[in-house]
Amino acid sequence: MTTTVVLLAAAVATSALRTVLVTVVPAHRLPAAARRALGHLAPAALVALVAAAVAGRRGPAALLHPGTVPVLAALAVAALVAWRTRRRPRPALPILAAVAVMIIWEVLS
Amino acid sequence: MDTTLRHTPTREVRAALRDLGPVALGLAPFAVLIGVTGVRAGLGGGAGVLSSALLLGGSAQITALTMLAGGAPPLAILAAVVLVNARFLLYAAALEPWFRGQPAWFRWLGPQFVVDPTYALAARRDDLDAAGRRRYWLTAGTGLLAAWVGLTAAGAALAPVLPATAALDVAAPAMFLAVLVPLLHARPARAGASAAAVTAVVASPLPDGFGLLCGIAAGVVAATLADRSSR
Repeated sequence: MTTTVVLLAAAVATSALRTVLVTVVPAHRLPAAARRALGHLAPAALVALVAAAVAGRRGPAALLHPGTVPVLAALAVAALVAWRTRRRPRPALPILAAVAVMIIWEVLS
Repeated sequence: MDTTLRHTPTREVRAALRDLGPVALGLAPFAVLIGVTGVRAGLGGGAGVLSSALLLGGSAQITALTMLAGGAPPLAILAAVVLVNARFLLYAAALEPWFRGQPAWFRWLGPQFVVDPTYALAARRDDLDAAGRRRYWLTAGTGLLAAWVGLTAAGAALAPVLPATAALDVAAPAMFLAVLVPLLHARPARAGASAAAVTAVVASPLPDGFGLLCGIAAGVVAATLADRSSR
């Protein structure tokens, strides 16, 4: 029950995020400074998500934990693949590369 | 007249489906992972599928499911989802010309499909008129939603038989990297990403996803300052 209610509330909030700058306050009416700040949101959010996924709740010490090494290696390979394909992005390749590194690591260890 | 009526809609629908194919394939591991996460977190297969149908945004879904399984307060989960999905504001702002001058129903319904892949698909289509944009967008959006929900259900169904491996754990952050890396061509974006990464790691022990919030806020501030200094 709680799960359904929380997901419904999250859906309403997400719907508002998607429509507000199209239907309620069209984006071209925003001040220039606000439009520029919005432009910086995506990279900051995405990299913070990656960092949070790696660190968990352990802080900087997580980066030195032996269990984090294969994750960092897998994500480094994924980042490299994403960089090499950045002009014609193929979202599947970095994911498959990272999963492959993890599988190889598990097989070898 | 007949030729236009008969063929133009078909052409745009086919174009949307053709463009969507590789995108859906690339997102498949992520959707499956969400279904698996819902089951293995103890929330049941329905939670993952419901989150796909309602949210259509993998990173927010993973965040919500993980926090729900961890017993986080509902308001904290809601705040985290809003923060994670805040990038949809940017996408919607960028796509606003697609919706300008369209019927009211489309300006309310259409943005519900704003998400990373549909933004990427629409951003490279500048060859469509107003009606063509509607057909293309609705086909791509509903197609993506159907594929996303179906693949999440497949993940939930396969969760008991998939081997217990940490390999799938990196699929979500790798997906974020796949979207992030092409955005890092400008100096402000790199400055913001660096600040966000360091701050998110340092602040990660904070409760209820506030470390993530701190990382995003620090990244936006750093990128804005770098942007100003480069002007």
